[in-house]
Amino acid sequence: MRTVLVIASVLFLSACYNAPDPGRIAGGGPGTLAGAPAQSFEVPRLGGGTDSLARHRGQVVLLNLWTTWCPPCREEMPALERFARENAGKVVVLGVDQGESASAAARFAHEHGATFPILIDEAQQYGRAYQGVGLPTSIVIARDGHVVRGIDGAMTIEQMREAVAPALRSK
Amino acid sequence: MTARAATLAVAVLAIALVLAQIVYPATPLYHTWQYAAALALALAVMIAYANGVRRGEDGTFGRRLLLALAGAAIVDLAGLAAGLLGPDTAAVIGTPGTVTPVPALGAAAFFGVADPAVLASGSGAITLRRRGTAEIVLAGGERRLDGESLLSLEPRPAAFVEAYDGHGAHLTITQPTNASFLSPVLLFRDHQRVGAFDLPFDTFATPAQHRTLRALYFTPQQLRGFAHGGVTDATQPAVVLTASDDAGRPLGITLAASGRSVAIGGVHVRVTLGTYPALAIASAPPLWALVLGLALFSIGLVWSALRGRAGARAGAQAQGT
Repeated sequence: MRTVLVIASVLFLSACYNAPDPGRIAGGGPGTLAGAPAQSFEVPRLGGGTDSLARHRGQVVLLNLWTTWCPPCREEMPALERFARENAGKVVVLGVDQGESASAAARFAHEHGATFPILIDEAQQYGRAYQGVGLPTSIVIARDGHVVRGIDGAMTIEQMREAVAPALRSK
Repeated sequence: MTARAATLAVAVLAIALVLAQIVYPATPLYHTWQYAAALALALAVMIAYANGVRRGEDGTFGRRLLLALAGAAIVDLAGLAAGLLGPDTAAVIGTPGTVTPVPALGAAAFFGVADPAVLASGSGAITLRRRGTAEIVLAGGERRLDGESLLSLEPRPAAFVEAYDGHGAHLTITQPTNASFLSPVLLFRDHQRVGAFDLPFDTFATPAQHRTLRALYFTPQQLRGFAHGGVTDATQPAVVLTASDDAGRPLGITLAASGRSVAIGGVHVRVTLGTYPALAIASAPPLWALVLGLALFSIGLVWSALRGRAGARAGAQAQGT
């Protein structure tokens, strides 16, 4: 009987132990995406037809999420255009307008003289997938389709060169 | 009732209590002291009976039952360990189209992309991926035992928001107070008390129009239940939208039914309501322990019954001669 009581007491007292609760876990922004497979969505392209990140597999891609109402996006646009021209044939710059109509994006692109491809992502699928915590958000994708780096906020052309350098070095 | 019958009844009850963790997962009861006490008590009763059998109190039949009781004890201990040592049930909430690490499972959860149709039909899916193992796809009411965790989907209220300006141009939706800043899908993570109701709410913005909107989610029952101004014929959920400008000045309030466009604060908003799943992770007894315990319990019972019948026949023959 004593054995039974000891066993029952030990089991009962162990009820005091509480394992850690994993709780709610949230995404951690674009900076946490390095190494993850890059997600792609087929969306309309400014000028006609559709386009997606997956169509540029095999090339280094600088994916830039922006909107027309975002001041830092406006400030970054000249540097992005210069970077796209400077790296033509080496890096594909893909601008992705988040949630706006094609007409608004077209006006903006014209005003800033943007010549790189611009995707119209009304449902904000790229913004969701790349865990944008602000605008602009830039993602560098390697030739093998994996994210090299995610950057929150506007970049200078030097920062863009630095961001794509590891992807250009890798096979 | 004999000690044998009482012990068997307790063993069956203990097994039922443990199997409830699989049949009705994610219930807080399994982590309470009362549940632990019930299983500990059942184990104590079985051990006490076994001690009595050791002293020869229930004869040969009692000794044969020990195999069944050993099986019940294994199930009991597995259930007790899962309830006491396993983590409390957790809900991993993720924005559609994103990947969220789940350290508790050593896996990454891929929350399936959701458009208005997926939310309205509640058909969102979650895929769990970890290195070197096959992926686990959870959809609908599916449940999966994964080691000592029971995985299931917990449907939660969700809304897909589309906004347009006065000229019909699509507007960007942002969620400045949420981790998913660029998502047009509201997951209603917070609650607000309004009268007798505890209502889920979420906030979004249309920065191009300098508007912030708050959406308060009502079930049809809650809509009908409002004492004043209740929507008596409500059959679908709806949200009450309130708008304000950048300075926080209120710009209006309106009721938005699912899929219907409403104008508020100079913005045309269409909210498609439905559900999107969260990943529910509940602790569960390990499958091997359940299989082993139930097998021993069944074999022990059958063995006792067969030997018991053989013994009775032998006894009857002995009496006849």
